[in-house]
Amino acid sequence: MSIKVTVQQRFPRLARSSKNWHAGWTRIGEQTQFYGRTLASAVDVLVHYKTELVRLIAAMSLGTGALAVIGGTVVIVGFLTISTGALVAVQGYNQFAQVGVEALTGFASAYFNVRLIAPLTAAIAMAATIGAGATAQLGAMRINEEIDALEVMGVRSLAYLASSRVLAGVIVVIPLYCVAVIMSFLAARVGTTVIYGQSTGVYDHYFRTFLIPTDLIWSFVQAVVTAVVIMLVHTYYGFTAGGGPAGVGEAVGRATRTSLVVAVCVTLLVTLSIYGQSGNFNLAG
Amino acid sequence: MVFRALSSSKPIQGIGGFFAMSMDTAVAVFQPPFAWREFVLQTWFVARVSLLPTLMLSIPFTVLTVFTFNVLLAEFGAADFSGTGAALGAVTQIGPIVTVLVVAGAGATAMCADLGARTIREELDAQRVMGINPIQALVVPRVLAATLVALLLSSLVILVGLAGGFVFSVFFQNVTPGAFVAGLTLVTGVGDVVVSLIKATLFGMTAGLIACYMGTTVSGGPAGVGNAVNETVVFSFLALFVINIFMTAVGIKVNL
Repeated sequence: MSIKVTVQQRFPRLARSSKNWHAGWTRIGEQTQFYGRTLASAVDVLVHYKTELVRLIAAMSLGTGALAVIGGTVVIVGFLTISTGALVAVQGYNQFAQVGVEALTGFASAYFNVRLIAPLTAAIAMAATIGAGATAQLGAMRINEEIDALEVMGVRSLAYLASSRVLAGVIVVIPLYCVAVIMSFLAARVGTTVIYGQSTGVYDHYFRTFLIPTDLIWSFVQAVVTAVVIMLVHTYYGFTAGGGPAGVGEAVGRATRTSLVVAVCVTLLVTLSIYGQSGNFNLAG
Repeated sequence: MVFRALSSSKPIQGIGGFFAMSMDTAVAVFQPPFAWREFVLQTWFVARVSLLPTLMLSIPFTVLTVFTFNVLLAEFGAADFSGTGAALGAVTQIGPIVTVLVVAGAGATAMCADLGARTIREELDAQRVMGINPIQALVVPRVLAATLVALLLSSLVILVGLAGGFVFSVFFQNVTPGAFVAGLTLVTGVGDVVVSLIKATLFGMTAGLIACYMGTTVSGGPAGVGNAVNETVVFSFLALFVINIFMTAVGIKVNL
């Protein structure tokens, strides 16, 4: 002990930086452990806490509090994808019109919406609504010592609160992603045909020609994977919140930025592993 | 019945309150004394929390876009134009949108959490009692800080994104480096860059205003602060995506 103290006092900077380094690695280890235990406890949820799972699915899809007033998660996801779909119409139509091939806007919708825009927008919307909501709820429970109370009562808090939210997120994302894809297609179509005045036949022809069904399925896989990752990150930060009301707010902020980065990285890796080899795209049909 | 009417008018009251606060802020910007110290501190704070997420978000975002573009361009036999796609994507869309995500997700949430905690501890009421206008002392410097940082961040996002796109295209997809650089300015010009910077400025201002409004109207303990931060993220994303469409349409009209 005396040697340790001497070294710490002799080299204060080195001691501090090694302590930070150590704390950083410990945090990564704790996060990994938390994710592993959360995923492993998913079975407990299905066996013991089915009612809570159903309640969470309802709460997540329709939202709680002020977000429920404006229509819940479904409306928010729909709205965000409408706006990005409209962006395809605005940007795509005008850029294609510069080189005289505005007929291909339908192709842009079928290609970029499925591969790039819808998965990313859905991930962003999920992180902002379901994810940040979960962190806020869990953080408030942690601050009010409700999680400790659950443990005392013999409820498996990790399964009851965290795993159930991850499972509910995965179940909710499937219909949500359907809404997202349909809305982005519709918005691009309406924007191109109604606002810019392209004939619907031209649009539909290029859209149908270049819409690849397997791409759609892979895009669903992307959405589900990002949903799992987002919910894991958000439940971790909520579960380990501390430091009073400001701490809950900070945890929500930290969780949002971490999950955005992680979700985009995961989307990138999944895209590279699906399309990295061949591209799975053939212009000649 | 009355309760129904009251509860259904709540979102409208929220919108009204938001616009009232925005007007107050706009007026208070020009009223001395300007809170310089708070402004500098907040700018540094927002920049500090946003810098790392910006870098970590803009690289995968651009690489993803460049990759999707390159699959398409390689099919046309026009992979040399991948620089054009990268520049178009990075300047017109990714730059402003990643800035939005970071400023709303990192800066605005931290701001709202900080203000919300102060509101719960009744520090804002105490300021009012002491004759200090919280809008002038707290809100104005924060909104201006968010605006400035968003403007600065968007240029960083574009630069980092283009560099990431260059490395990915040249080293992983075997595009000629000279062709990539030459293609950068083919479709994207000064006008696009200016519109992109204006977009980022508007985004920063809106995110700052939403964060300050949600933060100063918090009620109900830790759960209230958590919900306010959650709502800040949702509302700023909604507002910013809508602004993005209109600004893109306007930008295209201006540049053509």
